[in-house]
Amino acid sequence: MLKPGPQTPDLNVLGTAMDASVTQRQESDARAETLVASYERAGYVRVAPAILQPAEPFLDLSGEDIRRRMYLTTAPDGDELCLRPDLTIPVSCDYLASSVAGKAANYCYFGPVFRHRSDAAAEFLQAGIESFGRADKAAADAEMMSLGLEATAHYGVPTPDIQIGDVALFASLIAGLDLPPAWKRRLIKDFNRKTNLAQDLDRLVLGGNNARPEYQGVLAALAGSDPKGAHALVTDLLSIAGINAVGGRSVGEIADRFLEQSALGASAKLPREVRGLIERFLSIQGNPDEGAAALRALARETKMTPALASALDQFESRTGFLEARGIDVKRVRFSTAFGRGFDYYTGLVFELTDPKRTGDPLVAGGRYDELLTRLGAANPIPAVGFAVWIERLAVYGGAP
Amino acid sequence: MSEPFVLAVPAKGRLQENAETFFARAGLTLMKPRGARDYRGAIAGLDGVEVAYLSASEITSQLAAGAVHLGVTGEDLVREMIPDADKRVVLIEGLGFGFANVVVAVPQAWIDVRTMSDIDDVTTSFRQHHDRKMRVATKYINLTRDFFSSYGIVDYRIVESSGATEGAPAAGTAEMIVDIATTGATLAANGLKVVEDGTILRSQANLVAARGATWGKDERDLARVILDRVAAQARARAFREVRARFAASTDMLVENAKRKFNIETPFGGPTAAGVLTLHCPPDQVYALTNFLRENGAEAVTVAELGYVFSRDNPLYAKLEAGL
Repeated sequence: MLKPGPQTPDLNVLGTAMDASVTQRQESDARAETLVASYERAGYVRVAPAILQPAEPFLDLSGEDIRRRMYLTTAPDGDELCLRPDLTIPVSCDYLASSVAGKAANYCYFGPVFRHRSDAAAEFLQAGIESFGRADKAAADAEMMSLGLEATAHYGVPTPDIQIGDVALFASLIAGLDLPPAWKRRLIKDFNRKTNLAQDLDRLVLGGNNARPEYQGVLAALAGSDPKGAHALVTDLLSIAGINAVGGRSVGEIADRFLEQSALGASAKLPREVRGLIERFLSIQGNPDEGAAALRALARETKMTPALASALDQFESRTGFLEARGIDVKRVRFSTAFGRGFDYYTGLVFELTDPKRTGDPLVAGGRYDELLTRLGAANPIPAVGFAVWIERLAVYGGAP
Repeated sequence: MSEPFVLAVPAKGRLQENAETFFARAGLTLMKPRGARDYRGAIAGLDGVEVAYLSASEITSQLAAGAVHLGVTGEDLVREMIPDADKRVVLIEGLGFGFANVVVAVPQAWIDVRTMSDIDDVTTSFRQHHDRKMRVATKYINLTRDFFSSYGIVDYRIVESSGATEGAPAAGTAEMIVDIATTGATLAANGLKVVEDGTILRSQANLVAARGATWGKDERDLARVILDRVAAQARARAFREVRARFAASTDMLVENAKRKFNIETPFGGPTAAGVLTLHCPPDQVYALTNFLRENGAEAVTVAELGYVFSRDNPLYAKLEAGL
């Protein structure tokens, strides 16, 4: 049952085609090299992390979902390896393993990354910048956007659409709400995933998902009782029933969450006014100045000013630095909802796109202050950076 | 025809027995002319068909590659092993054996976990408390990923497990599992319970066609013959033949019976002698015989059917629509 193999192509035709693609590739590389050289002159040390990377950090940070887009392989000793799907994590890991870990350090890179894409080649080029350990966050954020704009200008797209969001604003809003911790967890997660937040809010307001008839009686009886005693009771019940804790969660943890459910109440609902507040918050958009004004007004009206003050100060300070760098902030489109579904951002999120083309990003980046901790750093290290889609820019921008 | 038409059937165990019985009932006797240990066979009386005996997972990958035309394999393997399965294969018919539910199971001690949204919450707080993600042991990596993703669950890691998956939580290599639960007894014995809305797939053995195989006129003709017999047998099993004789006109009676008992009238109205032939679902047979006797039938006979061939060929139509 062997199927006929692919026909052997005419060698001359193949040769000519290869020459053309090599030339094209060399031109494209040279143009990108000029860009990276400018980053080096600006003080960013050029690094070239290994192409073959341990798969663990990518799966851990981006979730199992990224597996379908990654090129994975297994080493003879069983370690799972991958062709790097981005350069942020490899640059971060190399930085943490270096002698300057924890200190301020600025890097730039240029090279291939590998992701399965149904509509484009799996191997493509990215250039970019990673800046670690800078305490002047608002200034660093503005510098990233400015360097990103230099990249599109270098390729002949001088005025791309600039879209920004700020994940820290939503996090501050939720932290400031008077809600049980379980719901705060839930809402932060809802914001971060790509599903429809409105649907999730509906579900929370209706409380439909929290009906648990089987334990309703026990939960109601436990509600309002002395937490310590209730905790001991649940722990005892489990051991009397002869149920051993298997699978990593301790009996204490199980009891805690069981009691947390009772605190929520068996038919708990998200208060309507909270839902209204979240929806109003997420509908705010405009240029950064308009956005900040609308947010301050909303905060005043709903007595959320203390919760949002620090994130808003940071936001406005960043806008100031953008102006100082000569960026026309009237052109920047800000939306509180932008940044949903992005993997590990904690503050600024930005994308530069070509208004005349598809919405695919030409440059994308932002701030990820928790990334290095999650990669094993003992203390938090601020991190900000962006990646440049080289081939897309070369096509959209046209000839040099 | 330069290449043979290949039908792939499971090479081992209960699946092989069930598949052979299934084809035999359809009048398609699988033979191994060169002895029982041979992995190539034929169908008695049907030239041009090669029967390939393979493992269920090989059958699945051969179907995906278009290297065999038809095959018998579990839907769980099809969904797990073939990306975009519906573009590569056509699931023609569930065969009524090889039932297996792919489920999410967690330790019984997790009294706070009943639904997938509990798992969503628990996985996130586990990562925050333990600084690592919960592990899910499974051999169904793709099914698990898609299912968890549909619930928005992100804080978990898959640990590939090729056997004795239900022992993973007790062994400390995972916190929960995704596995087949045929009865649930194995799960209970390992201190696990199925999550309420955690059934990923209700799977059974399926007759599957490869869209990527060569489907010329000869191959289509052979598939038509095989599927015609399979359909005739399937229809025969779904009905009993009920015969009764009436003196008077039966038009109203048949209309009533159709409404009440889901019967079919394969030969239309009664014969000149007043004999009516009806096809009735097995669970309605007794009620129908009562109804017929109350309405004037003197005697009613009920018989099992061998085959019911009809002009249409629904299974072949399904294949053709999918190719």
